Amino acid sequence: MLDKYDCLKKLAARRGSSDTVVTTMSVSMPWAELSVTPLDFASVDSAMGHGADFAYGIALAQPDRRVLCLNGDGSTLMCLGTLVTVTAEPAPNFTLIITENGTYEVTGNQPVPGAGRVDFEGMARAAGVKEVHTIETEADFDAKLDLHFTAPGPAVFVWRIERADEPVPKPSAPIKQRAHALRDALTS
Amino acid sequence: MQASLIVDELKKQGVTHVVGVPDNGARTLFEALWAERGITVIGVTREGEAYAVASGLYVGGSLPVVIIQNTGFLETGDAFRGTAYNMGLPIVMLMGYRGFQTMEPGAERVDTAATFFEPTLKAWDIPYTLMSADDEVSEQISGAFQMAAQRSLPSAVLIIGTTT
Repeated sequence: MLDKYDCLKKLAARRGSSDTVVTTMSVSMPWAELSVTPLDFASVDSAMGHGADFAYGIALAQPDRRVLCLNGDGSTLMCLGTLVTVTAEPAPNFTLIITENGTYEVTGNQPVPGAGRVDFEGMARAAGVKEVHTIETEADFDAKLDLHFTAPGPAVFVWRIERADEPVPKPSAPIKQRAHALRDALTS
Repeated sequence: MQASLIVDELKKQGVTHVVGVPDNGARTLFEALWAERGITVIGVTREGEAYAVASGLYVGGSLPVVIIQNTGFLETGDAFRGTAYNMGLPIVMLMGYRGFQTMEPGAERVDTAATFFEPTLKAWDIPYTLMSADDEVSEQISGAFQMAAQRSLPSAVLIIGTTT
């Protein structure tokens, strides 16, 4: 199992200055402690399950930037169709990271449906995603870190992470303000 | 209504992407859009995704419209609220009005996709107009873009009948 905090630190250190990162749920606050750029967007106080498709839209509009979305397993399950949608009009610059811990972490670690039985890599492949990697060890993570930024998208990485106890994320500002600030950063 | 007129007006407004799900009423509209090189059509698996993808496109600097039917619109509540609406994005929607005729007096049955539709639009703070004839296309669609821009919020044009 991976320690998500270590993974996030390494991802933040490797992240390029023009890369855009969309986070959701239990990753949003830890990411905000590692990275403060106008190209970060916490999909918080938004619609659960719709972080990945939102990030995919950004990737389509901004083909010269890498767009990464860190999505929980519970959020991914809420909108599984997105695994298919992202293959219909592929965005070579889009990376979806599914952080799999088997629980709804911010509401108290209740199990997600199918915890321990769902095969996210298999579902992504069956949906038509060709670049899919499941990562369970630190050594494998280190070996594949660059791929998160270079693999032809849509690329899906499943991080098997240890359970933690993140609280419900609190947005830094109203979502309207944050969305328009991101637009300004992306289009300026 | 001629699908080509709708496509021409979308191009005139500078639309870059259409995000949505085809339905019977908009079949020819989607066929015309797929044939149109200047606009990219993004098909989604469920209508709620349309608002999230369109919101990402708009935040990224593109100009998307959402085209879905009222049945699918009724599925989109939290996605609409949490993305396009709460983000304050001027996204225009063209929505098929399934069952419109069933609300006329004497109809054999009432389609709840129709009777639930306009009350839901009002509850969700979505201004809308109805479009049913060729000579309404330009005015209604351009008006929706103006309304969306003025409020920095989504607005809608409801398509009565089928496009040809």
